Amino acid sequence: MRTLQLRLTVLAFASTLAIGVAAQDLTLPNKPKDTLKFAVIGDSGTGDSNQYRLAKVFTDLYARFPYEFVLMMGDNMYGGESTRDFQKKFEIPYKPVLDKNIKFYASLGNHDSPNQKMYKLFNMNGENYYTFRPKAGIRFFALDSNYMDRTQLQWLEKELAASGSDWKIMYFHHPIYSSGGTHGSDTALRDQLEPLFLKYGVDVVLTGHEHFYERLKPQKGIHYFISGGAGKVRKGDVGGEFTEKAFDSGYHFMIFEVDGDKMHFQAISDLAKTVDSGVIERRRVDDKAAPSVPAAPPVKPVPPQDKPNTTTAKPAAPGSSAPAAAPPATAKPTTKPQ
Amino acid sequence: MTKPIYVYAVAMFLVAACSSSAQQANHADLQQTPKGSNVNPDAGLVADFKKRVDDYVKLRQKAEAAAPADLQEKSKPAEINAAEKNMAQKVRDARPAAKPGDIFTPATQAMFRRLLKPPLTKGPGAADNKAIMKDDSPAPREVPFKVNAEYPKEVPLSTVPPDVLLSLPTLPEDVQYRFAGKHLLLFDAKANIIVDYMLNAIP
Repeated sequence: MRTLQLRLTVLAFASTLAIGVAAQDLTLPNKPKDTLKFAVIGDSGTGDSNQYRLAKVFTDLYARFPYEFVLMMGDNMYGGESTRDFQKKFEIPYKPVLDKNIKFYASLGNHDSPNQKMYKLFNMNGENYYTFRPKAGIRFFALDSNYMDRTQLQWLEKELAASGSDWKIMYFHHPIYSSGGTHGSDTALRDQLEPLFLKYGVDVVLTGHEHFYERLKPQKGIHYFISGGAGKVRKGDVGGEFTEKAFDSGYHFMIFEVDGDKMHFQAISDLAKTVDSGVIERRRVDDKAAPSVPAAPPVKPVPPQDKPNTTTAKPAAPGSSAPAAAPPATAKPTTKPQ
Repeated sequence: MTKPIYVYAVAMFLVAACSSSAQQANHADLQQTPKGSNVNPDAGLVADFKKRVDDYVKLRQKAEAAAPADLQEKSKPAEINAAEKNMAQKVRDARPAAKPGDIFTPATQAMFRRLLKPPLTKGPGAADNKAIMKDDSPAPREVPFKVNAEYPKEVPLSTVPPDVLLSLPTLPEDVQYRFAGKHLLLFDAKANIIVDYMLNAIP
């Protein structure tokens, strides 16, 4: 009994510490109203202690930063998909926020059965791909990148055409730009999607699949993030021509706050440390109405950084110890196509 | 010794008839193989394949209508899994004699191999397409090559590059092309079963 009490005390202390660090590092405006706050997890569904450790930081953060919903980048469920699996890999780790009726909006990864769309807590409404508008002026599109057929492409174009001047935020599993050594950019998918993104002025694209965090240099004016480290990490796999900021030495999730024409973002590790943060300014409507297709930014090697927690080049070798704390790194990507 | 005029008339008639017949024969050939035209030479095979797929979907819908499997949005995964298995069993019951090649017939298999070749062997995207297929595709030993068999939940479904999908005949909702190694599966995503398969589809 005394042992249990001691464990609970230690757990509570650790939890308080985690909240404290996260609160200290919170770089988003965290306005009480008139903004849209949401979170992102990707490749989460392992059900192991790593997922749980990050989930603790993630759910604890809610007290300080009450995100309204969570986007899931796919691979929501590795391995089996029994009732027990759904509990172990989703319902238990995220219970604190599920109990607060925070909605999770899932997209499908290559490890996910298509019938996950029937699972009510994933809010897919029985569809492999869907769109929703949680607040006036902000629209999300969840795509099924495992199976991008003609029907889905036609649906996407129709929905994008009807979305007007809203913020347009895409999320799906496979990154069309990636510096990952294991998977890399899905260029076949890019060939189909990028013309639509440019034509209809997509602002931000969120993906997973790669088990790390990467913020890419804006590609033709669009901001790309890879957030696939909520349950798995592939160390030493990221860094290259597209990398603006990367992190692959620990697990992570992301939080966002859309405030008018600005979108603030922050990536947070399983040690409750900020690994990246910044603000994106939405392209003007004029820019969207007449989309240009400028060249991608010049390719240049990203110099290694001395901040161990914010990786921009190939990071520490597998098996290296967890990084020490690093101050939040801010970045303000440009608003115009590069 | 001049020949009567009717002999010449008969000869001319015969020549004309043969010519007409030859023209008709040539026309018929053209209809079968419209060389140089915009007609898809695979149109007949595609139509046959699509009809077989449509027949399968009708069969499934009929089975569903007779006793609804109740596969709709639910809070409990157990209920989703039960409804899915229920539907799969209804499909099995409705096509007990189904066998490999019922939908991927020998003729359509040749067409599929032909259609799959360009996106995987030609052009700048071929290497990437092949890499994606290899990257996410399960090993053949992980998948049961058996018509009406359940697709194992613990085995990831292959990602199919858009180029590949766009080169193949379109399918109705919830019926999908998937791969296991070099083998092509016709997968019913709703019932989670293998409808048909063809081996060595990829070059």
